[in-house]
Amino acid sequence: MKLLAAIAALASIATATACGSAGTESSGQGGIYTTIDGSKQINASAPINPFNPVGSVFDGYNGMALAWPKNDPIDPNQFYPAIARSWDVSPDQSAVVIHLQPDARWSDGKPVTSEDVRVSIGLAYTQGGTAYAIDPKAAGAAASIQVVDPKTIRITQGANKSNMFLSNLLSTDIVPAHVFGQLLPADFWQKLKVAQTGKGPAADRDKNVITGLADKVIAFSPPHDVSAGPFVLERVNPGAALLTRNPYFYDRRLIVPDKVEMLNYSGNEQIWNYLIAGKLDNAPFTSVPSAVLDRIRQVRGSKVISGFSPVSTSLAFNQAHKPYDNVHVRRALAYLINRAQVTKIASPEGGTASETTSGIHAAAAKVWLGQAFNGLDPYRLDPAKAAAELKAAGMTRRGGKWALPDGKPWTVQIHVPAAFSDWVSAAKSISSQLTDHGIDATVVTSADYTLYLTELAAGKYDVGFWLMGLGPSPYNIFQRLFGQANGWQMFGGRLEHVAPGTQGNWMGGPEKVAVAGPDGTTTVDPGELTSRLGYASQDEQKKIVAVLARTANQQLPVIQLWDYVNTQFVNTSRYTGFPPDDDQSLRLSSGVWMQLGMIRKRQA
Amino acid sequence: MTVTVLPPGAGEVAAGTTRAALRRNFWRGVWRVLCRKPSRMAGVVIVVGFAVMGVVGPLLYPANLPRDDNALYAAPSLQHPFGTDFEGTDVLALVVTGARYVLLTGLATAVITVALGTAIGLFAGFRRGGWDTALMRLTDLNLAIPGLPLLLVLSTVWKFTSPLSMGLVLGLLGWGGVARAVRSQTLSLRERGFIEAARGLGLPTTHIIGRELLPSMAPYIAMNMLIAVTGAVYAQVGLFFLGVLPFDANNWGVMLNLAVFSGGALTTPAALPYLLAPLIAILLLTLGIVLIVDAMDEIFNPRLREE
Repeated sequence: MKLLAAIAALASIATATACGSAGTESSGQGGIYTTIDGSKQINASAPINPFNPVGSVFDGYNGMALAWPKNDPIDPNQFYPAIARSWDVSPDQSAVVIHLQPDARWSDGKPVTSEDVRVSIGLAYTQGGTAYAIDPKAAGAAASIQVVDPKTIRITQGANKSNMFLSNLLSTDIVPAHVFGQLLPADFWQKLKVAQTGKGPAADRDKNVITGLADKVIAFSPPHDVSAGPFVLERVNPGAALLTRNPYFYDRRLIVPDKVEMLNYSGNEQIWNYLIAGKLDNAPFTSVPSAVLDRIRQVRGSKVISGFSPVSTSLAFNQAHKPYDNVHVRRALAYLINRAQVTKIASPEGGTASETTSGIHAAAAKVWLGQAFNGLDPYRLDPAKAAAELKAAGMTRRGGKWALPDGKPWTVQIHVPAAFSDWVSAAKSISSQLTDHGIDATVVTSADYTLYLTELAAGKYDVGFWLMGLGPSPYNIFQRLFGQANGWQMFGGRLEHVAPGTQGNWMGGPEKVAVAGPDGTTTVDPGELTSRLGYASQDEQKKIVAVLARTANQQLPVIQLWDYVNTQFVNTSRYTGFPPDDDQSLRLSSGVWMQLGMIRKRQA
Repeated sequence: MTVTVLPPGAGEVAAGTTRAALRRNFWRGVWRVLCRKPSRMAGVVIVVGFAVMGVVGPLLYPANLPRDDNALYAAPSLQHPFGTDFEGTDVLALVVTGARYVLLTGLATAVITVALGTAIGLFAGFRRGGWDTALMRLTDLNLAIPGLPLLLVLSTVWKFTSPLSMGLVLGLLGWGGVARAVRSQTLSLRERGFIEAARGLGLPTTHIIGRELLPSMAPYIAMNMLIAVTGAVYAQVGLFFLGVLPFDANNWGVMLNLAVFSGGALTTPAALPYLLAPLIAILLLTLGIVLIVDAMDEIFNPRLREE
């Protein structure tokens, strides 16, 4: 009873949260635009700080980057201008000159200058990673930051070049130097230089000083919002955040709503209820069952926009565990899973069944591979082929059940995080299908996603669900299959393959594999090829992608199940001008759509 | 004055006959109490029905329940009285085959709760002094443990695949209330004349506790046991609903979770039967137990008898 009471109490808190709002608001002619932030829930006590993962900074509204990425299937360097009006890039991406918006101002009236960008980059160094790695040998690390004039800044790339440099650079969050600058010590840039180029204890000490600033930067809480975006945070409570128009925004003539109300949510069903109530002008991708989608469609003004989403779901194997080390077993399972059926059950509206396993979302794979895409084994449902593969793996069949080569019973344990209802349904569907074909299979859930990833990385699972195809960068796509999770890691700028079960290598695949191609069978190192994708020219990239897609298809480190569709919900009763299906801005927030001049007030 | 001399062994025979007669009278009394209100008989029928479902239910269906790929979330029909789930499996079949885990967990929890709680409460109340103090602090500790957060943490390291392991944990978390109540009753009873007399006769402690104290508290303990079953059902279904326990498609809590979070049962009517079926099962089971507890109250408390 004590437990029941506690569960009931939790439920009531969730309900109370659902009912919260930013209060009754009056607005001018532009009205209040209501939406949710798909990337995070609202935390009323979080600082107004983009470096804080739960901070009250919302991309495209009061959070601004140098530029916004377009939803291109294969080119990660396509961007819409934001704080950066334009940029010049040298052909090998060794230097990027960024020209800032001439009229850009912060919400307190001060101009946005190159110094703001420089301070933002300094703060990004404290967080590490991507273009701002302290290790100068890291691929795609910035080497120098030079303020050319108040509206121009030049950034050069280090010797170990990466095709992702421009993309990482333009994604930098820009914060006001007169608010955040105090976080950096006066001699920060000297210390950074010593940490990057020096040797010995002095370099180590300065490196520690810079990385030691990380927590201070994350915890920093400005007293009020100073934004260069179209909106400024007015107030936030557990139910919603309210943002008002920034009178100094450089393209303020394009911004129609007077205010934006960002509603909080505790789960998908709350977003469904908002949509059915017609409360939201836009909701980003949300997993929705068919019956709920039908109900949402019936709401006045409700529309569903869909487009490309460079993400797929797969069933991944731990090849360090038997019998999944045997490619015939992995292929047999691929021949026994009806992906169309799995997708129909798990993600009927938000996904399309994968045509094959290539490692890439089908839409991007067709562009990268052309006709070669059709040459990949589609692994259609074929129990006879599966039986032949299992026999080739030495598996035995007794009393209608498949057993391990030594005669011991075989149960496929499929692991999923409990909170991902589409994955749970898919795992159950797969387990039923395998059981139909004489393979015992069970579903095991993990309490939460963080625990799931921790246990997965620790090599505790045989088979688990895994997100893949995270494009558009081909390097990022194949990192999911032949990267750190499969043993390939960079040490001091050198790629190494670590033993299965160590340093996060839970996929446990071999370092080199034989891959059949148009020119016969060759031995390839998929991790090394993936690493080359980071700096190869586009022609080279195409060749490498073709080899890696064949490797993924033949070796099956994962079975690609379905490719996601970016399903967005909009309501045109108050605002119109939303992007059409398959638009390149579809994965960006409504705030960016407003910056691009899309959202207009509906005329009575 | 007449003295009746009984032949050797006649006393034992008489005692045995008396005990058998008492037992017969007791069951006749139980029957009378049950028949007095139809609701009590309904309670017995419901609980027996669930027990049969738990024992025989899984035998009525194939090990892998059939699925209909073209009837996902199908509406209720004669073929599927509670419709189908996300895979097109009959929801009634899921409820029936899932009853065993729920009931076994409830039973295991109830046995452990009552056995531990009664033993500790009796011992503490009868012995008093240092033992009482130590055992009651232990009871306080048990009562102070926040059960849900602890179970959430435990679920990350323990998968609770067996109903007995689930019942063991719930039982170990839930005995505190019973122990406290039994101790209070023991403290009160041990001052009564019949216990004083038993002590005066030099009867051993085990006899006093087992034969004198325990029977007086049997009604209370039996009722607690039944109520513990309902508590365990709520707790485990709640944990499965939160998704922190292992996935089993026919577990009632998992069914509720999938109906709400996958099927949108609280948003649209399509998955509502899938939500209602396990809910009705839980409500019926609780109702059956409550109705039996009502009968037990009268059986064990002569003052409530309406004769």
